[in-house]
Amino acid sequence: MLSRSAFRQATRQSWLQQRRGMAAPAIGSFQYQVGEAAGIKIASRDTSGPIGTIALVAQAGTRYETMPGLAEGLNKYAFKNTDRRTSLRIQRESELLGGSLISTHTRENLVTGAKFFRDDLPYFVELLAEVASQTSYRPHVMQEEVIPLVMMDHKKFLANTLDMALSSVHSLAFHRGLGNTIKPASSTPYTKYLTAESLEEYAQSAYAKSSFAIVGNGVDHAELSKWTNEFFGDARKSPLQQLTSPQSKYYGGEERISHGSGNSMVIAFSGSSSPTGASYKPEAAVLAALLGGQSAIKWSPGFSLLSKATQEAPNMHVATKSNIYTDAGLVTIAMDGSATDIRNTAGKVVEALKSVAQNISKEDFQKAKALAKFKELEYGQEPRAALELTGAGLVRDNKPYQIDDVAKSIDGVTEDKVKKLVKEALENKASVSAVGDLYLLPFAEELGLKV
Amino acid sequence: MSYPTLAPFIQQRPWLMRWMRPLARWYFDNSGYRKLGLRADDLIPEESESVQLALKRLPPKEAYDRVFRMRRAFQCSLAHQLLPQTEWTKADEDISYLEPIIKEIEAERTEREDLESMIIKKRTSASTKGGH
Repeated sequence: MLSRSAFRQATRQSWLQQRRGMAAPAIGSFQYQVGEAAGIKIASRDTSGPIGTIALVAQAGTRYETMPGLAEGLNKYAFKNTDRRTSLRIQRESELLGGSLISTHTRENLVTGAKFFRDDLPYFVELLAEVASQTSYRPHVMQEEVIPLVMMDHKKFLANTLDMALSSVHSLAFHRGLGNTIKPASSTPYTKYLTAESLEEYAQSAYAKSSFAIVGNGVDHAELSKWTNEFFGDARKSPLQQLTSPQSKYYGGEERISHGSGNSMVIAFSGSSSPTGASYKPEAAVLAALLGGQSAIKWSPGFSLLSKATQEAPNMHVATKSNIYTDAGLVTIAMDGSATDIRNTAGKVVEALKSVAQNISKEDFQKAKALAKFKELEYGQEPRAALELTGAGLVRDNKPYQIDDVAKSIDGVTEDKVKKLVKEALENKASVSAVGDLYLLPFAEELGLKV
Repeated sequence: MSYPTLAPFIQQRPWLMRWMRPLARWYFDNSGYRKLGLRADDLIPEESESVQLALKRLPPKEAYDRVFRMRRAFQCSLAHQLLPQTEWTKADEDISYLEPIIKEIEAERTEREDLESMIIKKRTSASTKGGH
């Protein structure tokens, strides 16, 4: 039972724990300061502004899951009942403090974090510590709250052809590990594998001190380290089961899935790992900007090769993205639209790709480099930026993701490097996935790709 | 609480507990449900939201056993018979399996009501220099 006065007192205490003024003026750098507190790797940068963000980045995304659906389940279970507080109370307290709670997962990481007023840092560090080490995994919470959300994600996934194609392309390219679907692609996760017990075991591996890092934006490094020491003392020291995944290897191939609503086609080839990893190639980011597809300026298709190539199909969505992971990467060209549009333009997209291997115009290359750098720095300016990449880099390679360095390395990219990347991609097997009306959607062979 | 009880009051006083225990045992044995193979928690009225939710939260095995006990008791009742003495519920089997769940659900409800009727005060002046 909880009396009103007890609640008020507790909230007040957490508010009063620490008060400090506004941050020092802008430093103008995105460099992360790295340290260790309570045996946990921490990184932070004190950007100016009244809002701070912290995140607990655990190396426990779909790549590392021991059974399908666990990463998704743990993501949805974040901020539920702990031994000390109920989920309702966590929600209400964070609402009162004006914070917002974040919980996402990617192929490699599970990000649990919060955005808040700078002054409330201790409260949210304590909350994250509670989520990590004191969450109570109960069957009825699974049944009533978590599994319905996982089911909804499953349905959303099946309704979105582009997501299906991207997921399929990853599994073609990397098979297991990075190839695991990021959202549940079938009902087996929640009918077969996802239970309170399996989730608790996974949490004990994911939330051990050696498998996560705490990353802060807009928080003072000394403060973060102090409060981490205070609250994360009782987190599990070593994982129940070491979550590992073998070094990713690129395979490639073709997959075609028929689907009644929507048409998507994704062409992918091996790209760059994240800057903290071994096979970092900044030219992948430049190539993604050069191929592009999406215009950065209004009322114009833009300079990018793919937006020129697909000018006849203005309603089709084309986008190139360099997906980077800790030890491998995938450059994806995603097309989404009507089946006839994709059929008519997919060939031109591949021709544009082949033309890059031959010749890149100087002007386009300059524009692509500028755009790639702009995107990287713009990304770095967002409050949540690079939280995940930094955390992952720290856990795996003991290096943070420094956005300044990344921007500098993009400056060093030459045309030859980009040409070489494309040549290698065309010589190797591509990963091609088509989802939708298979009568119209072309085969990779017809497009002139090797699979 | 799902039903009115003096139990917590008595449990807090060991001398009273010593007095009452034989009486309680006599009362439970005579109330008859054990002779039909039921447990005390089987008798909690189901017609309330919290009990309905608690029943849903029972582990599958518990839920199955509960239904089995009830059907058996119902058959006995129809036949105007008691179970053979070997099948009566023993005192140590008569554990409360549902009540902790009901209490938890009621605690959740009370917490929600408490939070809903909470009076929020603005931060004191000491903290306003934070700038928000």
